[in-house]
Amino acid sequence: MNGPSFVLSAFVVTWLTASLRLAGPVLLAALGETFAEQSGVLNVGIEGTMLLGALASFLVSFYSGMIWASLIAAVLAGIAANLFLAWMYVTIRANQVVSGLVFNVFAVGVASTVYRKAMGDSALPESIAMFQPLHIPGLTRIPILGPVLFGQTILFYATLLLACIAYFILFKTNLGLALRASGENPAAAASAGISVARMRYLGTLISGAGAGMAGGYLVLAQVGLFRESIVSGQGFIALGIVIFGRWNPLKAAVAAMVFGACDALQLSLQIFGSHVPSQLLLALPYIVTILAISGLFGGKAVQPAALMVPYDRE
Amino acid sequence: MKDFLEMRNIVKRFPGVVANNRVNLTIRAGEIHALLGENGAGKSTLMQILYGFHSMDSGEIRMDGKQIRLDSPKDAIALGIGMVHQEFMLVRPFTVVENTVLGMREGRGPLLDLEQASRKLQELSNRHGLALDPAARVGSLPIGVQQRVEILKLLYRDASLLILDEPTAVLTPQEKDQLFAILRKLKQDGRSVVIVTHKLKEIMECADRVTVMRDGQVVATREVRETSEHELTRLMVGRDVNLRAIKPERKPGAAVLQVKDLRVEDESGREKVCGLSLEVHAGEILGVAGVDGNGQSELAEALLHLRRIEGGQVIVNGADVTSRSVAEHRAGGISYVPADRRRVGSVPEMSVADNAILGQQRKYVRGLFRDLDEARKSAEKLTARFGIRGSGIDQGAGKLSGGNLQKLILGREILRGSAVLVVEQPTRGLDVGAVESVWQELIRARQEGKAILLISAELDELLNLADRIAVMFEGRIMGIVDAVAASVEVIGLMMAGIRPAGAANTGATMKEAPSGETV
Repeated sequence: MNGPSFVLSAFVVTWLTASLRLAGPVLLAALGETFAEQSGVLNVGIEGTMLLGALASFLVSFYSGMIWASLIAAVLAGIAANLFLAWMYVTIRANQVVSGLVFNVFAVGVASTVYRKAMGDSALPESIAMFQPLHIPGLTRIPILGPVLFGQTILFYATLLLACIAYFILFKTNLGLALRASGENPAAAASAGISVARMRYLGTLISGAGAGMAGGYLVLAQVGLFRESIVSGQGFIALGIVIFGRWNPLKAAVAAMVFGACDALQLSLQIFGSHVPSQLLLALPYIVTILAISGLFGGKAVQPAALMVPYDRE
Repeated sequence: MKDFLEMRNIVKRFPGVVANNRVNLTIRAGEIHALLGENGAGKSTLMQILYGFHSMDSGEIRMDGKQIRLDSPKDAIALGIGMVHQEFMLVRPFTVVENTVLGMREGRGPLLDLEQASRKLQELSNRHGLALDPAARVGSLPIGVQQRVEILKLLYRDASLLILDEPTAVLTPQEKDQLFAILRKLKQDGRSVVIVTHKLKEIMECADRVTVMRDGQVVATREVRETSEHELTRLMVGRDVNLRAIKPERKPGAAVLQVKDLRVEDESGREKVCGLSLEVHAGEILGVAGVDGNGQSELAEALLHLRRIEGGQVIVNGADVTSRSVAEHRAGGISYVPADRRRVGSVPEMSVADNAILGQQRKYVRGLFRDLDEARKSAEKLTARFGIRGSGIDQGAGKLSGGNLQKLILGREILRGSAVLVVEQPTRGLDVGAVESVWQELIRARQEGKAILLISAELDELLNLADRIAVMFEGRIMGIVDAVAASVEVIGLMMAGIRPAGAANTGATMKEAPSGETV
């Protein structure tokens, strides 16, 4: 292989591999959020939930070294936090956006306090055991596509599987129909004997599980340590991915890959050296997300009709 | 026939009102039972209790002699009680079959089996003569068909008691006949049907028995063949009423409002008014008939410039006002009484006095400040002139009854002195007494020479008040008929989009001056 084409193929491999790697956590969070929004709840609190999930998985991994237990801890932390959010959204019928935003601020405070208490004021960030890329023998040797598609961690494949399962539940089961009805026309759902409150609790808790696991994904498969800025807006990006994916888990997977590709592009361009200012590159994935949800391309997104509308039977 | 369901001594209180006060209702197997009463009489509350939507404060419900508990619609459905609400309980983006199986557990456990459900639905629709495509999206179906979906939903659940809340409000006269035929068939199957209504004619036409409610109590239960419209009215209202408007003869004057080739779109960009033309003369009431949702509201909103006009012209007294702002428009001679009294017609949180000058507040100023004395004086004048009863002009407008609030809005708009009055559904939800006085005020405004465009879904209202009736269907005028000579059948056909032979076949203005006959 001669020089330039080797560089180019190395660039493409690095770029695409990173794309998928970076798409994983936002997709997980977006999958959960899809359930919440289809049930009629806009759960903005997934940003903070991701942070709490990240913290939980880091601490469990640090103290026990058990990587799977760390992941489960992240999921449980997400569910626990969202039990509170669901209570605010559904039982109290508080403003969903305000509750979620305030929860995010609260989560940052909780996370940094707990982290300092647990780790002391040691200057060095502690690193932990992580999921490693699988490198499936044989398949990884396929040029370009091999390392890209078959060199990811098991969490990535699990996330893709979850996307399929999420699609199946939402569109092929009675439960999915009932959940979507609660987000489209809660009065009609209630009139058909469905408990709208139960569906919305369920949707919110699933989004908590997804966001918690996404936080675990960041720590256990991408970064390997905890810091307060680890999530840095990826929960909000997931909200955009849900819209970009038109509230459909499979389309959300594609949307997440597009986001991942943009994010990875700016990383790769920085590594390989580029004349474009790095600040502009950093903004790229966010600009693409804003354009994607603006409705300027691919038609206007039609959200669940009762999204953010609290439901009261009497 | 044996008693099938019995509600005994039902009491339901809402903050400030007793909606149901020791109500008794018995429904037999295989009967059509009408529940009659004015708005606010407590009929809907009673049915919501029977469907498990509301809990009752005391009382008991028995089915086949056994006491039953209804804590949620789920309980009611399990017992074979089904309800078609006034506002349909359908999920618009879902298909017919998805709406049907919603909330049901059957077939392949947690998995949806839409194919099998479609087959069963098709079978039911054939058996009951309710034509339907199970795969159609509900949101794209006409209202009459949506009602069919609601009824099939109940049959799919094999309901033995079907409750229909104001089922004919959204139907053309022909669709209404179809509905009644279906209900009679269900009765022959041994099912019981309860229809909640305030329309006497329909009761006489299809019910076996009728229970009349007033002020939260049951006044009487009658066999329909042993009663009369006259007696039912007296029971419902508590006094004799004769709802007939006496309209003095009046020669209409020049054309005051002219609409030419008007085009208006709804929020999602669909054309709702498609090249509509009409003329309203001074001293004339032009009625606009049509099933709700055929562009009537969009027409009214466009005339007031509350909605953008995509094409065409609006001319008032010879001046083109098509592209004016709402304020200029209103100053320029169009007054508006919107269909939604509490959200568009008034600001319920503000006082009667403030609502009485709403839209003319700039007239009541002294320098930088409001001239409260003048404003109050004119509000007092308005309430006296239109007989608005309440606890005074400082009361919140939202606390007025529907009829009094409507009189306040109507009075305000009439006293502005505009040449044109656009009135939308002026008596919707009002009791008989209030309907009478609203009608009288509209006739009085006609006598004063105003050009009135009256949009109403109540054919009776149009036949009583209008000089001419224009029928709207899918954004177009199907024809304009003289109210005196008009037949309900012809209007009904036009409401369904069928243009009968002999009716005026253009939406354009009539050349000759219309006649104003006495009814």
